[in-house]
Amino acid sequence: MMTTVTLQYYAQLREQARTGSEQVSTSATSLHGLYEELRSRHGFTLPPDALKVAVNAQFSDWQQELRDGDTVVFIPPVAGG
Amino acid sequence: MTHFSLADDAVDLVQLRASLHHPGSGGYCAFEGWVRNSNEGRAVDGLEYEAYAELAVAEGERIVEEAIARYGVNAAHCLHRTGNLAIGDLAVWIGVSCAHRDEAFRACRYIIDEIKHRLPIWKKEHYIDGDTAWVACTHAYREHEHDSRHGHAHAHVHEPIAPFVPDYSRQTRLREVGEAGQAKLAAARVLVIGAGGLGCPVLTYLAGAGVGTLGIVDGDRLDASNLHRQTLYDARDIGERKVDLAARRITALNPGVIVKTHAEPLHTGNVVEVFGQYDLVVECTDDMGSRYLSNDAAILTGIPLILASVYQYEGQLQVVTAKPGDPCLRCLWPQEPAAGVAGSCVESGVLGPVPGVLGCMQAIESLKLLLDLPRPTDHALLLINLLDGTSQRLPIDATQGCAMHDSCIEAARRGLEQAQSARDVELTFVRLDDAMAAGYALVDVREAAEIAAQPLHAHSQWLSSALIGERASELAAGPVLLICASGRRSGVAARMLRGQGMLNIHSLAGGVAALAPQCDRVAG
Repeated sequence: MMTTVTLQYYAQLREQARTGSEQVSTSATSLHGLYEELRSRHGFTLPPDALKVAVNAQFSDWQQELRDGDTVVFIPPVAGG
Repeated sequence: MTHFSLADDAVDLVQLRASLHHPGSGGYCAFEGWVRNSNEGRAVDGLEYEAYAELAVAEGERIVEEAIARYGVNAAHCLHRTGNLAIGDLAVWIGVSCAHRDEAFRACRYIIDEIKHRLPIWKKEHYIDGDTAWVACTHAYREHEHDSRHGHAHAHVHEPIAPFVPDYSRQTRLREVGEAGQAKLAAARVLVIGAGGLGCPVLTYLAGAGVGTLGIVDGDRLDASNLHRQTLYDARDIGERKVDLAARRITALNPGVIVKTHAEPLHTGNVVEVFGQYDLVVECTDDMGSRYLSNDAAILTGIPLILASVYQYEGQLQVVTAKPGDPCLRCLWPQEPAAGVAGSCVESGVLGPVPGVLGCMQAIESLKLLLDLPRPTDHALLLINLLDGTSQRLPIDATQGCAMHDSCIEAARRGLEQAQSARDVELTFVRLDDAMAAGYALVDVREAAEIAAQPLHAHSQWLSSALIGERASELAAGPVLLICASGRRSGVAARMLRGQGMLNIHSLAGGVAALAPQCDRVAG
């Protein structure tokens, strides 16, 4: 079963994905699975344990199940000043 | 020894002069400023000096230190009188001893010119006709600026400048601020770590708002590449220490603010003590290690911290209240990311106004905390995207953070321990014999070809850096010193092993290249 979600990227992820947001259909069932799928597609260099993930504007657990229509945001720490 | 003092009574000049004796000094120059019987055509029969003492002492100290650094001075002292003085009394005394006379003359001149220009000291002149007037002691022709590359035009101001009276009416008019709020700001002490793209607006707005004491931490000198985003500085400031430049600009903006500068970067050895001198800390560096260090110190001292960071066209903002039960930086990202994982301005680029926007937001959050203005009761990470003009406020649930394992306090304590241990990693030895005598077992982590080309002339174990992780059990139980060509691979390996709890592992700073020739290595 495919789930359609909206993705938003910040910092290095935005650069590597070459877009700030996109909509994808995925067979992944958890956030963790979704990130691994995107990682191989976009060549993300950051491991998931360096990131925070939020779904529908709430920080979420990596094991959380994906639902149709979710907005998922991956957030790396940044250090520029 | 302090280099600057204020005295409200006559002083013993013999003793001051004696304190400047130095075996390396061949020239001594002293300057005395006396009270004259006329000023601007009016007969004067005495005067009274009034100083903003804390600021005058801090700025005076800085001026003499600048002269010492600028002219290679061996010893120097400056004394300024306060209180009532009669005609002929000594008002200022400066003594400088150097290797040669020229530096002594020039340093002495530098100090008096800067003192006249920068110290918050006012004089009240008593005229023969019974009249009095306050005159700011801020007019000076600065000779030394003509022998520097700055080459300013004559800065000779004849008109007396009235003492500055701040006017905060535009903000005290706000019902939530008022005079009571202004008094809170005047009593507040805020530390700003990093006087760069974020720090410039933070310092500017907090000084303008009348925050009583501003501390500035920055170890860098101004670089031309800073100017597109660091709005406190000028092109002619390049090469100068940013703490000095920022302190000067802040004092010029609001002479009522006490500015304290910390040129030594914060580290595990001083961070808790420095935080303790302030009521609020604003983290404005571009350094991930500093952000975690500040977070841990804030949690352990209970002093609130405002974090922000930027990346290209976007930024993040988090307020750490440091109250029990409230979330911290480690609640979001428990461990400091490995080197290179977090982007920096140097590598990734940044548009100048981006840290400007985030720094302004840090200034607002600071004022909200200091003034206890209304704000949301929950805690959040704010994400600002300035390309598409959007922001996201992501509430942080503290129960899902550090509290899942133990607590923010425990995480902070471990964080500081790890940072301390990382500081302890690098050891400097000029000879490997010294390291062995100190009880270190030597481990060569280079590749076989490197060792063949440049063997160590001391007993060592060989365990290449690529294999050391899986063969760590073969290392001696006591203190171990890892050695590579430059200190880089051994440093990475030592930190990795320490991360696994092996706190006896050290790395030879600079590697084989830093060892004295002949004894431990053959010419390569």
